[in-house]
Amino acid sequence: MSGTFVIVGASLAGGGAAGTLREEGFEGRVILIGAEPLPPYERPPLSKEYLRGEFPFERALVQPPGFYDENGVESRFGVRATRVDVTEKTVELEGGERVAYDRLLIATGSRNRRFPIPGLDLDGVYDLRTVADADGIRAEIAPGRKAVVVGMGFVGSEVAASLRQSGVDVVVVDRNEVPLRRVLGEEVGRVIEGIHRDHGTSMIFEDRVVAFEGAGRVERVTTARGRRLECDFVVVGLGSEPVTDLLAGTGAEIDNGVVVDEHLWTGVEGIYAAGDVANHYHPVFERRIRVEHWQNALGQGPAAARAMLGKGEPYDEVPWFWSDQYEHNLQYAGFHTEWDELIVRGSMDERNFVAFYRKDGRVLAAVAVNRGKDLRRSIPLIEAQEPVDAGRLCDLAVDLRALANGAVGTR
Amino acid sequence: MAEYTTVARVEDLEGGEMRAFDVRGAKIAVANVDGAFYAFGDTCTHRGCSLAGGDLEETTVVCPCHGSEFDVRSGAVLRGPAREPVGTYEARVEDGRLEVKG
Repeated sequence: MSGTFVIVGASLAGGGAAGTLREEGFEGRVILIGAEPLPPYERPPLSKEYLRGEFPFERALVQPPGFYDENGVESRFGVRATRVDVTEKTVELEGGERVAYDRLLIATGSRNRRFPIPGLDLDGVYDLRTVADADGIRAEIAPGRKAVVVGMGFVGSEVAASLRQSGVDVVVVDRNEVPLRRVLGEEVGRVIEGIHRDHGTSMIFEDRVVAFEGAGRVERVTTARGRRLECDFVVVGLGSEPVTDLLAGTGAEIDNGVVVDEHLWTGVEGIYAAGDVANHYHPVFERRIRVEHWQNALGQGPAAARAMLGKGEPYDEVPWFWSDQYEHNLQYAGFHTEWDELIVRGSMDERNFVAFYRKDGRVLAAVAVNRGKDLRRSIPLIEAQEPVDAGRLCDLAVDLRALANGAVGTR
Repeated sequence: MAEYTTVARVEDLEGGEMRAFDVRGAKIAVANVDGAFYAFGDTCTHRGCSLAGGDLEETTVVCPCHGSEFDVRSGAVLRGPAREPVGTYEARVEDGRLEVKG
């Protein structure tokens, strides 16, 4: 196969797709366009090891240095794609240049939500998405300095942990009752709260930041309930949104990201999407899901590349991610937005458990704290989407692998 | 010069099981794959978790923390996020003793 394959997004999904195109023997042009002036890199370390200065940027690179040149991938890093013209089959770059494509992969990822909070542009107020953002925060870190972390989702929780581990005094402000409330629910959130409390993180819940104040540089944060929190710097982690702007007017459906089928195809000729941006039909859950995690980007880039070559198979990996906080390992597998029962295997008090989010008798998802082996053994259960007996789920004498292999269906 | 160190009785490690041992200051895991013993570095090259705390699926060890997979025979990475292999060591059974050269 020949022609020109353009990948927009020099990301984990985009960099992986470029590699797969060459591995699969594609001999045409591959053009990889990225808004950041850097080759694709992995973002999980940015809130953890990289933020704490434990390892260098090079360890986060998706492909080794020199990979793109050596494999004939034309890299255009540091230039933003602004528009796609489906009639001309071109991608327009900032500055007006147009790049023609035969197949196009959208791997633009997501960007941080920015709420109109006064003072958000003050010096010393950060959010975290890029390595440049992480470098900014790193430069602020020193024992005894005071930080406010706004929002306690995964990024906020991990940043709070890394700052505490680096000796920074941390106050977190979150609108919910517990950390990670929206994703994991109140019971699991309480466990995470306890972990942070034990490490000396101050947490303010059911409140929100209304202003960042200071003369040029942030000096304090004020909240809706009237708190005034003095600080040296701030990290804002209030969620993200998919970057879909460049597809406006192309006919591709935009609904919580770019809508694609199980082959990651948009339905518009030649255009595919992968990673955070892709709201993809998932055969296991029989619905569209959008996943903003490492494993999804890692798998979907290559899957989309094969689909672009006409060798695609449905993408049906069960979503999975980890979140290391302090000495604790949290992992999640599956996909759930609601559940009617939380079944706990192990001990929440001892911070050693798997909690299953069950709906209509089926396990939609599971989260584990310091019980990763069981979490991985739960993935076949989630794939099966068959009713599972609650008593056996929480019986530590029962091997979860046996539950997935045929014992399912015994209510 | 590395020498063999006795780490366990052979019956202490059943087929399909793994255990980590301290061998002259090094953490070494031993896996019993259908009666064949394989010794390899217990510390995952990704973030340092104990591989013996994960699952053994035939000749593949799965890290419990972040899912990296290694071939217990060669130490090679079969699946990331780890990128570097783990070391391998010689293991043998002598008079019912499980011994590791490390």
